[in-house]
Amino acid sequence: MMKKRVPDWLNSSLWSSNPPPSDDHQNLRYSTTTNATATTTSSTITTSTPSTEDRSVDPPVPVPPPPMIEDPPEPQRIQDARVDNGAKDHNGTSGLPSADDISRQAQLMAMLSRKVIDILELRRIACQGIPDGAGIRSAVWKLLLGYLPLDRGLWSSELTKKRSQYKHFKEELLMNPSEITRRMYSSPSYDTDESKSESRGLLSRSEIPHEEHPLSLGKTSVWNQFFQDSEIIEQIDRDVKRTHPDMHFFSGDSQFAKSNQEALKSILIIFAKLNPGVRYVQGMNEILAPLFYVFKNDPDEENVAFAEADTFFCFVELLSGFRDNFCQQLDNSVVGIRSTITRLSQLLKEHDEELWRHLEVTTKVNPQFYAFRWITLLLTQEFNFADSLHIWDTLLSDPEGPQETLLRICCAMLILIRRRLLAGDFTSNLKLLQNYPSTNISHLLYVANKLRLQSV
Amino acid sequence: MVLVLALGDLHIPHRAADLPTKFKSMLVPGKIQHIICTGNLCSKEVHDYLKTLCPDLHIARGEYDEETRYPETKTLTIGQFKLGLCHGHQVIPWGDLDSLAMLQRQLDVDILVTGHTHQFTAYKHEGGVVINPGSATGAYSSITYDVNPSFVLMDIDGLRVVVYVYELIDGEVKVDKIDFKKTSTSHSAH
Repeated sequence: MMKKRVPDWLNSSLWSSNPPPSDDHQNLRYSTTTNATATTTSSTITTSTPSTEDRSVDPPVPVPPPPMIEDPPEPQRIQDARVDNGAKDHNGTSGLPSADDISRQAQLMAMLSRKVIDILELRRIACQGIPDGAGIRSAVWKLLLGYLPLDRGLWSSELTKKRSQYKHFKEELLMNPSEITRRMYSSPSYDTDESKSESRGLLSRSEIPHEEHPLSLGKTSVWNQFFQDSEIIEQIDRDVKRTHPDMHFFSGDSQFAKSNQEALKSILIIFAKLNPGVRYVQGMNEILAPLFYVFKNDPDEENVAFAEADTFFCFVELLSGFRDNFCQQLDNSVVGIRSTITRLSQLLKEHDEELWRHLEVTTKVNPQFYAFRWITLLLTQEFNFADSLHIWDTLLSDPEGPQETLLRICCAMLILIRRRLLAGDFTSNLKLLQNYPSTNISHLLYVANKLRLQSV
Repeated sequence: MVLVLALGDLHIPHRAADLPTKFKSMLVPGKIQHIICTGNLCSKEVHDYLKTLCPDLHIARGEYDEETRYPETKTLTIGQFKLGLCHGHQVIPWGDLDSLAMLQRQLDVDILVTGHTHQFTAYKHEGGVVINPGSATGAYSSITYDVNPSFVLMDIDGLRVVVYVYELIDGEVKVDKIDFKKTSTSHSAH
C-alpha cells in the first residue's frame, strides 16, 4: 500500500486499495462490480447515514423460483427478479446480477435437484455466497447445518419426524403448572355428577401428593420450577421484543410480527429448558433471528408453516459449535471466549504486525472491547441484515466449522480499516471498531479468504 | 392460571406477634397475583407487608381494624369467577351457612370469602361456595382459644378452581386441596 498522509475519514479509496489478481476466480464477483462500487461508494458513504436510517425497508425477500425439479431458470428471468430486489441492496452488490452470480445460482439449483447432494461441492459454492433471488438459501442452510439429510429421498420422512418431535417438546415444556397437575392427578369423580349440584354441605378435601402446591419450595415441585423458569422467560421476552426493532418482520404491532416474536420466544424457552447447563444467555436471540427469517421466507408453503420447528433444530446445531462462548464458567478456559479472542489477536499479529502492535500495545485497545460482540453474535450486529446473511453463507459453508472462518473475517475487518486505526488513538479506534463502518461484503470475504491462503 | 391468596384475622399486634415462620418462608413476592383479606389485620404494618407480597390487595373491614376506611364488603372478578369479600362479624349467627348464603346471594358472587370464626371451612350450597380461610396467625377468636393457623391459596384456571388449604398443625405445614368447577350455565359449584 502506498504511504499516504492521514486520510480524510470519508475517503473511499480505501475500498479499492487492494486490486485483486485477475487469475483468482473467487473474486469474479468483486471484479465485475469493482467499477460500480468504486463510483458508487462515495455516494454510498456520504449517504450512509440516511440509508442506514432507512432500514425499515426489509432486506430482499426472495421471489419464489420455479420448482426445483425443472431445469435451472434462464438468466433472463433471474435478471428481472434481481433487478427488483437489487433496488433494496444498501451497499456492496450493485443492482444488476453479475454473470458469476447467475452461474452460481444455476449451479446451486442443479445441485439441489440431484438425488444425493454432494455436500463438499455445495459447501464450496455456497462459500462464495448464495444469491438472494432464487429462494434457495433456506434449503442450502438446512443442508449445511446437517438438518436435511444428503439423500433427497429421505427429506420428507426426516422432516416429519423432526417436526413432530418439536411439537411434542412444545406441548410438554410450555404447559403451565395448573395444567400439569391436572393431567397428573386427574380425578374423574368430580367431572361426573351434575345432579348433585343442588345439594349443600362441606366440600371434600383431598390430599396433595409430593408437596405439589403453588408455594412449594421443594426442588422437585412443578410449581417451584415454574417460578424459577419465569425469570428466564421474562428475560427472553424482553430480548425478543428488542430484536431488530427496525424490521417489520420482527418488530411492530402487526399480527405477523407478533406471531414471529412468539415463535422466537417458544424456541428460546424450549432451548433453555432442554439445556439446563447453558439456559438462556442474552445474544442467543440475535443468533436465532437470521435463521428464522430465512426459513420463514422459504418459497415453499409447507416449509414456511413449519419454519419454527426447523429453526429450532438448526439453532441447536449452530449453537453446538458456539456453546462454550455462552458459558460463563468456561470464559477463562481453553475453549472459552477469552481464548478465542486471543486467537484472533494472534491471527492479526501474524498477518499485520504493524496494526497489531498499534492496536494492542500503543493504543491499548483490548480486543475484548470489540471482538466479544463480533464473535459471540456471529457478526449479526455489525452489519445490516442483508449483509449478515451473506456473511453467514460463508460462515456456515466452511467445512472446518464456522469458528475459523469467523476469526478470519474479523481479522479481515481489522485489516480493511487499518489506515484509520493506525491514525487513531484509543477513543477513536474504539469508537470505530464498535460501530464498524459499512463496507463491501464481497471485498471483506475476499480478503478473509486470502488470509486463509496466506497462512500456514 | 391466576393465584389468589385468601387470609385474614391476623390480629397483629393485639393477639399475635406475627405470622408463623413457616408460613412466612413460603409467602414470597412474585408468585401471587391477588390477595383478598377478610379483615382484622389489625395494624398498618401488616397492610404494608401484604402489599409487598402482591400489589393487588383487597381488604374488608374487621371490627378490630385500626384503618377505618376499608369497605364492609367487596366484590371483584378474577377470570371467570366473581368473588365476594366480607369479614363476617356482621352476619349473625356467626359462621351460619344459611345466613352466609343469603349474603352471597345479595352480593351475587360465585365464591364468598369470609372470616371471623378463625376456623377453616369450605361449604358449597345452591348459590355458590363459601370459603373461610381461618386465622393466619392462629389468634384466639371470640368463640374459642383452640385455633390452628391457616390460610388459603386459590388457583383459578378457566372454569376450574383448585383451593389449596395451608394449615399449621403441631408445628408442621399441612397442605390439602379442594377442586371445584363452575358450570357455565348456573352459579352453583359442583
